[in-house]
Amino acid sequence: MRKKGYRYFVIIVILFVGIHLVQIQIDYRKKLENLETALVLLPGQMAGSLVLGGFKGLAADLLWLQMESYWHSGQHYKILPLLEAIAWLQPSYILVWTIGGWHMAYNIYAEVKTEEEKQYWYEQGIKFLKKGLSYPFNANKYDIYFELGWTYYHKGKDYPNAVKYLEKATKYPHPDYVDDVLAHAYEKNGQIDKAIKQWEFVRDNYTAFFDIATRMINDLKTKGKATP
Amino acid sequence: MKRMWLVGLNTFRESIRKKTLYIILIFALIVIGASKLFSFLTAEEELKMIKDVSFSAIEFFGALIAIFGALYAVSAEIERRTIYTLLTKPIRRSDFVIGKFFGVSMIIFVNFVLAAAFFIGLLIFKKSPPDIQVFKTLLLIFFELILIGSITLALSTFTSDAFNIICSFFLYIVGHLTSYGKELIERMENIVMKGLTDMLYTLVPNYENFNIRDKIVVGLDVSWSYVGWTVLYGILYMCIALYIALYFFEKREV
Amino acid sequence: MAIIETKELTKHYILGRKKIVVGLEKVNLEINQGEIFGILGPNGSGKTTCLKLLLGILFPTSGEAYIMGRPPHDIEMKQHVGFLPENPYYYDYLTGPELLWFYAGLFGLDIDTAKKRIEYLLELVELHTAKRLHLRHYSKGMLERIGLAASLINDPEILILDEPTTGLDPIGCRDTRNLLLKLKEQGKTILLSSHFLSEVERVCDRIAIFHRGYLLATGTLDGLNKQYQAENLEDLFVKTICKFDNQQNVTTGETT
Repeated sequence: MRKKGYRYFVIIVILFVGIHLVQIQIDYRKKLENLETALVLLPGQMAGSLVLGGFKGLAADLLWLQMESYWHSGQHYKILPLLEAIAWLQPSYILVWTIGGWHMAYNIYAEVKTEEEKQYWYEQGIKFLKKGLSYPFNANKYDIYFELGWTYYHKGKDYPNAVKYLEKATKYPHPDYVDDVLAHAYEKNGQIDKAIKQWEFVRDNYTAFFDIATRMINDLKTKGKATP
Repeated sequence: MKRMWLVGLNTFRESIRKKTLYIILIFALIVIGASKLFSFLTAEEELKMIKDVSFSAIEFFGALIAIFGALYAVSAEIERRTIYTLLTKPIRRSDFVIGKFFGVSMIIFVNFVLAAAFFIGLLIFKKSPPDIQVFKTLLLIFFELILIGSITLALSTFTSDAFNIICSFFLYIVGHLTSYGKELIERMENIVMKGLTDMLYTLVPNYENFNIRDKIVVGLDVSWSYVGWTVLYGILYMCIALYIALYFFEKREV
Repeated sequence: MAIIETKELTKHYILGRKKIVVGLEKVNLEINQGEIFGILGPNGSGKTTCLKLLLGILFPTSGEAYIMGRPPHDIEMKQHVGFLPENPYYYDYLTGPELLWFYAGLFGLDIDTAKKRIEYLLELVELHTAKRLHLRHYSKGMLERIGLAASLINDPEILILDEPTTGLDPIGCRDTRNLLLKLKEQGKTILLSSHFLSEVERVCDRIAIFHRGYLLATGTLDGLNKQYQAENLEDLFVKTICKFDNQQNVTTGETT
């Protein structure tokens, strides 16, 4: 019996060596495919996830539901900590970042009175969006780039930055209106040639935008200004 | 081979007759409830939440069934002394252990398939038929459940029920926290400590490997090679659990 | 030649540090083919331990045990052995026939043989009327009877019964006794343990008396009665045990 036990032990050790090698492969692939949950280790967070075990997504959902109810009852400030929490739980959930950024730069912006406060919340929104971008799995999707570009363009009138991010957004699969907004941004940024080229691209590729793109090109060529 | 199969089948039959499958009804209620609860959200958000809730519920109830199924499979035989009648038949002790593994796997499988079918039905009903990523997630959840079951089975060959339950759930939680452990290891500077924690990282069942649902529900893709390696991980760890079970059961005086 | 044999069979249970309880101490037994052999002894005397060691449920501390010349873990040997545990308790959610089918499968019986055998056995233990009842609804006597049927499923050469008549009413006891005698006529070897002296007295060819893990005496009832100048089994039983206890107290004190 003792001899047999020794054999079991050897087999188990060999299997664990195998496990170790496979785990190295898996860890490598997690990095490769951005499956790693790259989280900052903070004591409170550790405790939170101890309770949650394998159910981070579920916790994010609960917080999201609560956020919805605050949102619809107009309690915008209460949304902020929830957004942070959801973003921590599921940073790959891209809606958190785009909706969060929009909340700060638009909804709360609209609610505060002074210019200083408005500027502050605009910047907070931008900052939140950029934080979302810092996760590699969000950096290869158009969503946050577009939201950033749009916020710079529409809210901040910061056209160089708007162009910068909208250009990045068009590098990844994206819906048609991204190209449309980029064309407007080029124009506002004073890059008339690029704006015309962009409109031509829009005209040739999206039938829905054909009329407006033709008009824009025409206006730009004749008046040098198309966007009201 | 045939005798292992009979032991497994008997385990499975008993669990079916004890109506463990009713737990699927709870699962169904939760998922249906969730889909009603989230209906005020946009379609995209709703779908994400339905998937989150369903995957989590499949895993959670699956883990419960795996742990209690495996626990009962061995300890009840010993406690009720039915094992005397088994071990005095011409079966090896290893036949008994592997047969029990089959039986527990069957229980997990049937529960899993019913829950997954229900979930997929709901997705189709919501006009979003599952894509291949959903099936990858389900596949990995299934392997995780089998692994959970085999670890509880291994523990049941040498521990008491109470200790086994605590240990199984403890491993379940720790196994899901392994990504933190990995980060800690990478930041360590002391070589000895690093080696020791690295060893611990290898020893603990890494359930977090099987958790890709947080990525899938938000539309990220996971490659087949990741799935393949993780399945291999699961199979290797199951072998370890079975060997441990065999080792202790061969020596066990019941 | 002995069909069941133990050589210096010893089982010590270790309870914590340095505390050892003797389950069985250097027991030498020889049981011949075709006889009914009874193991007698008070509760905790090592009867069940001895049977479990023979069947490989427990592992001996030292010594050897053989059935048909094969060690307890031998698969081939178990093909020819039937065992009825003490207070048998079976799978609650099976019916009687299902239980028997399960065991028939474990013995590798083919379907035709198994079917005939199961019908015959259910008839034999008079449970053919309760075919659909789950075992959890069985009475104690019914469980004992289905257990007996289960232990006979493979038509064993050797039948090992641990306290076969506990829980049976007088009629059940008589039926079991008759069954055992019938099996003996067929040439089977039967090893049974009991603390019901009268049962043992009526069926057993030879007996062994166990006490505190020690084998005190073996032989035919008549032979032992003569040796110990006892009038009947009860007298014999008490005499051997008292004698042993006195010796123990004089020489070594407690056995533990």
